[in-house]
Amino acid sequence: MTNGSWDNAKRIFADAIKVAPAKRLAYIDVACSGDLETRREVESLLNSFENAGSFMEQPAAHEVADFIGQNKILEAGRSFGHYEIVRQIGAGGMGEVYLAKDTKLERSVAIKVLNEKFAAHESNLSRFIQEAKAASALNHPNILVIHEIGTAENSNYIVSEFIEGETLRDNLEKSPSKLSEVLNISIQIANALCAAHHARIVHRDIKPENVMIRPDGFVKILDFGLAKLVEQKAVGFEASTVKHNQTAQGVILGTINYMSPEQAKGEKVDERTDIFSFGVVLYEMIAGRTPFAGDSMSETFANLINSEPPPLTRFSSDTPDELQRIVVKTLRKKRDERYQTMKNLLTDLKNLRENLAFDERLEKSRPLDEKSNPKLFRGTTGETNNRTEAANNNFTAQFKQRKPLVALFSVVLLFAIVGLGFYLYNSQKPVSVANQKKSVAVLPLVNIGNDPKIDYLSDGLTESVINNLSRISSLRVMSRNSAFRFKNDQTDTKNIAAKLGVETLVTGDIKQLDDRIVINVRLINAEDDSQIWGNQYVKSSADLIAAQNEIAQAVATNLRGKLTDSEQRELAKHPTENPEAYQLYQRGRFHVFKLTPQEIQTGISNFQQAIAIDPNYALAYAGLADAYRSLAVGSEMSPTEFMPKSKTAALRAVELDENLSDGHTTLGSTLFWGDWNWSEAENQYKRALELNPDDINAHLLYAHLLSNLGRHDEALVKARRARELDPLFPFAGALEGQILNHAGLTDEALERLNKTFELAPNFWFPHLFASSVYIEKGMFAEAVAEARKAKELAPAQTVSLAFEGYALAKSGKRNEAQALLNELLKLSTTRFVPPNHLAMIYNGLGKTEKSLEWLETAFEQRDPKVVFLKVEPKWNNLRNEQRFIELMRRMNFD
Amino acid sequence: MLRDWSGGNREALEGLLPLVYEELHRQAANFLHRERAGHTLQTTALIHETYLKLVDQRDVNWQSRTHFFAIAASLMRRILVDYARSKKREKRGGGAIRLTLNEEAMNVAARERSVDLMALDEALTRLEKLDEQQSRIVELRYFSGLTLDETADALSISRTTVATDWAMAKAWLHRELTR
Repeated sequence: MTNGSWDNAKRIFADAIKVAPAKRLAYIDVACSGDLETRREVESLLNSFENAGSFMEQPAAHEVADFIGQNKILEAGRSFGHYEIVRQIGAGGMGEVYLAKDTKLERSVAIKVLNEKFAAHESNLSRFIQEAKAASALNHPNILVIHEIGTAENSNYIVSEFIEGETLRDNLEKSPSKLSEVLNISIQIANALCAAHHARIVHRDIKPENVMIRPDGFVKILDFGLAKLVEQKAVGFEASTVKHNQTAQGVILGTINYMSPEQAKGEKVDERTDIFSFGVVLYEMIAGRTPFAGDSMSETFANLINSEPPPLTRFSSDTPDELQRIVVKTLRKKRDERYQTMKNLLTDLKNLRENLAFDERLEKSRPLDEKSNPKLFRGTTGETNNRTEAANNNFTAQFKQRKPLVALFSVVLLFAIVGLGFYLYNSQKPVSVANQKKSVAVLPLVNIGNDPKIDYLSDGLTESVINNLSRISSLRVMSRNSAFRFKNDQTDTKNIAAKLGVETLVTGDIKQLDDRIVINVRLINAEDDSQIWGNQYVKSSADLIAAQNEIAQAVATNLRGKLTDSEQRELAKHPTENPEAYQLYQRGRFHVFKLTPQEIQTGISNFQQAIAIDPNYALAYAGLADAYRSLAVGSEMSPTEFMPKSKTAALRAVELDENLSDGHTTLGSTLFWGDWNWSEAENQYKRALELNPDDINAHLLYAHLLSNLGRHDEALVKARRARELDPLFPFAGALEGQILNHAGLTDEALERLNKTFELAPNFWFPHLFASSVYIEKGMFAEAVAEARKAKELAPAQTVSLAFEGYALAKSGKRNEAQALLNELLKLSTTRFVPPNHLAMIYNGLGKTEKSLEWLETAFEQRDPKVVFLKVEPKWNNLRNEQRFIELMRRMNFD
Repeated sequence: MLRDWSGGNREALEGLLPLVYEELHRQAANFLHRERAGHTLQTTALIHETYLKLVDQRDVNWQSRTHFFAIAASLMRRILVDYARSKKREKRGGGAIRLTLNEEAMNVAARERSVDLMALDEALTRLEKLDEQQSRIVELRYFSGLTLDETADALSISRTTVATDWAMAKAWLHRELTR
């Protein structure tokens, strides 16, 4: 068909369909006037037109909606890397999200798997990776924690914490929120954004879909997929990411409803775009609709650029004026007129919340006749229609005017407290906490670059701050042991604080930037997760001691107000002035805490180097003493070689600084395990506790000593005190279990040990001690199982073999017991095997003479494990033996 | 003229593909869930949004709104036809990962008289040679879901022209597909 005839047919067709169907053929006969080809074509088209029915009536997308909308599903139970898929929890065009189980760490995680189709696009993949990186660079309780990013089965994935709950979108669709809820949620979002902005990261896609609310009310921000670094300088990101950001500039991403005007126009954005988007979300939470929503995307765009949003009172008449003012200020079209920082916005929101709470309390406590006219007392004008700019500005004035009224009400409140005190008492915590010690836990600084070179620093600095703060007697500082339990997961600060029983938390992160160390620290009020104080320190490695002091000082001041002069002096004291020695000490501690003989040896050499640089470094000597003793006691290496070294170092530590509790604690422990000098060990522990009454190690080691001396009641008091100080320290629970067992309280011991299993499933001590309890209860199969579990968790030690062999022998499996014994005897030709353990299996087998012989050997070889001689029930059958009595005497028991 | 898009424009649009896919998926999933309530798949919104994302973009010099809509609509056509192709392929073979189709989705698909998008795509390519404007209108109306008014607006032509061209294109395509 030629162009001309097509145009002709087109014209005729267009006219024909305007004619009634019955008259169409007649019409085209005339219109085509003998052009048969055109007539045939038009007739055929008209025919098709009339028969088309619903053809193409629905948009094409409907044909493939089922396909587009479906999700690829990884089946439940399928493993994906070391994760096991539980179920799908979400899907988007980019990929699917699954609930999965981390089989290594036995925890629930969320895995986002990127669709292969989309991963083929390079920009998709980098966006995916960027999301993970941006979010993982932030360590904040209100920001989703990214655990890992990786590739499995040709798919890229991000593993994050799993959050149970609903999105803010779901929440908004359910029912209108109460004002208190709106403030609670928005303050948490603002907190998260504060942290992100502090790290110079802009989220750029704040919307209700990206906010999760847990059932306990905790809010988490998701999807840093569009996040962008404000400055290239920021650390922890590869150059390629930054480059990607630059090229992406100008491309408008995000959802139009929540975009700032500058973002919608594709201009460069900064932190203030998040402030705007936050304002939109806040507005929506109150009004139930977004401020610029139009019927079409173009209308929304036009509103965003040109119109002022309707006042909130139109949707929610009881919206406080101050809240209206805050929202208006977040939604200013010109970003220079908005809140300039999230921090200021956060402050205003918090103040508002406080004032509202105050009003509410006031309302509750006011005599009834005053309640009848609440408006008068609330200081609002009742004017709700605040459309104009001028009126908006008035909000500030109105709010300011309230202050004298608030002051007046303080008097009313005081009256109310006297008269109607119980009103307050029922709903509020006691007002005065002045006599109570403020409590704080310093959580390990997170090494956000995962730079192994500064791993020791993140732990070391944390520990130093803990030590510094511990010297302020008016503060209760959670010990290292408990605080370090949260090294890898600091997301849920409220929960952590509750577990640790503290009111405040110090969290932060550390990273290396060229030759500088960048430390971010925050002091958080756990109750409402608000930040009390926060600061960034950029220090050279030579200045780290100063940083440590500044942090401790700031935390102490913020918790206690002004410090006394002596407190100031205590805080300013540090164990060494030499930064290099300080770093070596930190390295030493880091290695020793890994507890393997090799690591301990590395730690020892670090301490020695620290001491070589600063010969007066008492704390380094204490560390050295701990390390040597750990080799002899924990690693079962020659006691005659290492215990004297431990004692020398401990004595030196005390000599250099008599006021250092660590020195006395380590000396006490060395005197206990090495010298069996019970009374002097006790003196050292007492002195340590005098210097630092909250020293959990001193409490525990003292408890251990008391237990071994048979002073069970005193031991239990100390052990419980230790557990109070440090409810999550598994060693405390394990030791208490052992003490209970040695006191003959087997059921209580098991109960305590079971709780300790929950705390630390992979800690071998509770299993070892449980094995011993089961032996006492005659439950030998269980005893064997627990001993084997302990061996599995800590393969180097042999004490679990002693328990296992004893249990096997007692349960009649003499051959197996003998085989174990042979194995240990063989092992003793190549390394030090505590003779105490051999004696134990012999005793289980009923070979009394052999058992006594080996116990005597243990004594001669200074085997530390004979310290249990007096209370170990497995020796009970020997207690009347003369040789045993003699041993007891030589060991200074009784 | 309309097909004459420069490399830069194409690149800019392709850069937005993840978002287009994301949004399409979201809408499709929504559509499947809300089908009973008479909800339709709003690709229109998607096109508008894509447009907003591209306006003022510095590196790209969009000649006009018309130009943009032409490109966006042909992109939508490509995406949807690609989906149809994948759908067919998956029905035949199936990937390594088991596909679970929403039952509701199956019902939706079965209830509607389905159009073979791949065949339609081929026919539309033929129509384009006869009448470029009509093929453009099909892309906007059918593939992008624009209303008559929006289509008229996007192409800067009258509503009547769009209506008659649309009717004829439909008739023409229907004939091609039922031959």
